[in-house]
Amino acid sequence: MTIEILYPEVCNLYGDLMNIEYLRRAVPEAEVVKTSLKTRPAFLDRDVSLVYLSSMTERAQILVRDAMTPHLDALKQKIEEGLPILATGNAMELFIREIQDEDGTKTPMLGLFDLQAKRTMERRYNALYLGRFEDMDILGFKSQFSHAYGGEDVPALFETVRGAGRNPGETREGIRYKNFMATYLLGPLLVLNPPFTRLMLRLIGAGDRPVPFEKAAMDAYTLRLDEFKDPKRGFTY
Amino acid sequence: MMRKIRFLLALWLGKCARLALRALRRNATFFPGVVALKICPDFLGQVDKPENIIAVTGTNGKTTVSNLIADVLTDRGHRVLSNRLGSNVAAGIATTLLYGSSLFGKTRYETAVLEIDERSSKRIYPYLTPKWLVVTNLFRDSVMRNAHPEYIANFISQAIPRKTKLVLNADDLISSRIAPENDRVYFAVDRMETDVVECINLINDLQICPTCSGELQYDYRRYHHIGRAHCRDCDFKSPEAHYFATDVDTTDMTMTVTDKQGGRVVYPLLSDSVFNIYNVVTVAAAMREFGLTHEEISESLGKTKIVETRFNARQAGNVRVVMQMSKDKNALAGSRAFDYVSQLPGEKEIILMMNCLADQKNWSENTTWLYDCDFEFLAREGISRIVCTGPRAKDYYLRLLLAGVPEERLRCTLSELDAPELLEYRPGESVCLFYGTDALDLVYKVQAKIVECAEEAAAR
Repeated sequence: MTIEILYPEVCNLYGDLMNIEYLRRAVPEAEVVKTSLKTRPAFLDRDVSLVYLSSMTERAQILVRDAMTPHLDALKQKIEEGLPILATGNAMELFIREIQDEDGTKTPMLGLFDLQAKRTMERRYNALYLGRFEDMDILGFKSQFSHAYGGEDVPALFETVRGAGRNPGETREGIRYKNFMATYLLGPLLVLNPPFTRLMLRLIGAGDRPVPFEKAAMDAYTLRLDEFKDPKRGFTY
Repeated sequence: MMRKIRFLLALWLGKCARLALRALRRNATFFPGVVALKICPDFLGQVDKPENIIAVTGTNGKTTVSNLIADVLTDRGHRVLSNRLGSNVAAGIATTLLYGSSLFGKTRYETAVLEIDERSSKRIYPYLTPKWLVVTNLFRDSVMRNAHPEYIANFISQAIPRKTKLVLNADDLISSRIAPENDRVYFAVDRMETDVVECINLINDLQICPTCSGELQYDYRRYHHIGRAHCRDCDFKSPEAHYFATDVDTTDMTMTVTDKQGGRVVYPLLSDSVFNIYNVVTVAAAMREFGLTHEEISESLGKTKIVETRFNARQAGNVRVVMQMSKDKNALAGSRAFDYVSQLPGEKEIILMMNCLADQKNWSENTTWLYDCDFEFLAREGISRIVCTGPRAKDYYLRLLLAGVPEERLRCTLSELDAPELLEYRPGESVCLFYGTDALDLVYKVQAKIVECAEEAAAR
């Protein structure tokens, strides 16, 4: 089994990369391939079980977009064929139509999904997140300059229970199309959500197996879930 | 005319607020400025300012560096206005300037040393032109407030006046590139025995060439992105230092600073930590730019002491109790503190209570920083037990397991006051308490409990 991390030299913010380390601990036989900006992605030429993209700086979003653009058609085909892809934090914006800044400047992105992100660099949105994925509670954190709008036909990854979806007025959070999954949730999403990690393990072909340090992970998850469900607890920082 | 009246009203009410708070024995370093800025939003622009303003900013070391600069200047006979006791955001700077001015708004000082929060740059620099801006470094800080260091570097670059001369860290390829049009000098520390080439930290914020996005090759690296590097694909490289620290000797506690004008003087080290080695060369560079001689700076530095609020140790029973502050929600502070304490001589037991209790009161701490922080240093030999405590104890516990700490070394309790009882207090060892900055009353209670437990263990 091969897990590919795209462009970790620039996609490495907020502890996101620990998602892959957590999967690697669960699947010690997995090979983790790190693809740099100047290297051809492995998923184009060989069997890859999961492609991962993490949070990055705004400048890095442009570098990553430019690195992926030559492979856009192949990427679309792989998504149609069911290649599992996970993007966390602002990596989600790589796959949407464009990012619009406060001054009206529009930055085109890969355009796989018809969403527009509106970005305000002077105001950072910080919040907790509680959502649902199938029968699971999903917990997470948001800390971002932008929100996504539009995309009425773009299926969501999570259904929001508390906090903001793609934007504060929406309950749909992230994008899910076949096995492509993207979310504004950042950081160690899989470490924070052991039930979702078990699903990810099945999705990438690792079968039913425990997550690393399952008891400790579930203890932390359960405590946080109780906090996030507490109606008296504030959600936006 | 109305503008002037409003300014004077803001100044007087600010001064009244300060007097009232001082009468109540409060520090009065923030609220008077809030009052002044509320009444007169451009108060910072209107108030008369000292001719020589040295501003100090950066992620780490700005408080120590600005205090040392103020101490050196005072020792050399200058009357210095500073915000050393108070706030470093716009209201704090307004408080400092209103204190330093007469009833009609004229400054009573020639020189000011102002520590400035880097995130407050856009609220301060449009109204205040420092003659020099000293930038200690830029690292990843709070995910919620500071996002990432490139964002903060842009923030400062966009705000700092073009006339300001920059004093920059050549070993930090993020902060050394701010405001490229401004006049600048650099300081650096020569290669040290403990330097490496490959990054051993989780946070490594500059891995590609900032000019061409090519492959960045580090010649040596101190930690994280601090070191000296060049690009393999273009002619980009670390800048040459105008003030260069060499021959760092942590036994004799000295180092030598040379400068491009040919100066070469031995300086006292104020502590053996790498951060404090940087602090001394930073002060030397800033003060040389101000106009002091190396001999004057070195002599005055020799009379100063760093207030070790972040680290102190005392004996209790048969153990040494080490207090190590680690700014909450700050992965880099945690990494540096873990690295330092884990290498202290002898056996160690540790309590981790770096939870952000202020966040916990109202919502729930964003713990993503735990996975940027090098908890792996706590898996080193010599650490026999780690107790995770506070509302996020279970998160610390899981993080430590992932860092490779054997489960049998770990204990976990949500109650901070129960944590000291979970240690063993073996004779000769150090008991280290890592704590955040926002719950000091509770920290002191836990410290007292540790001392009590240590003395009981010694008596048994």
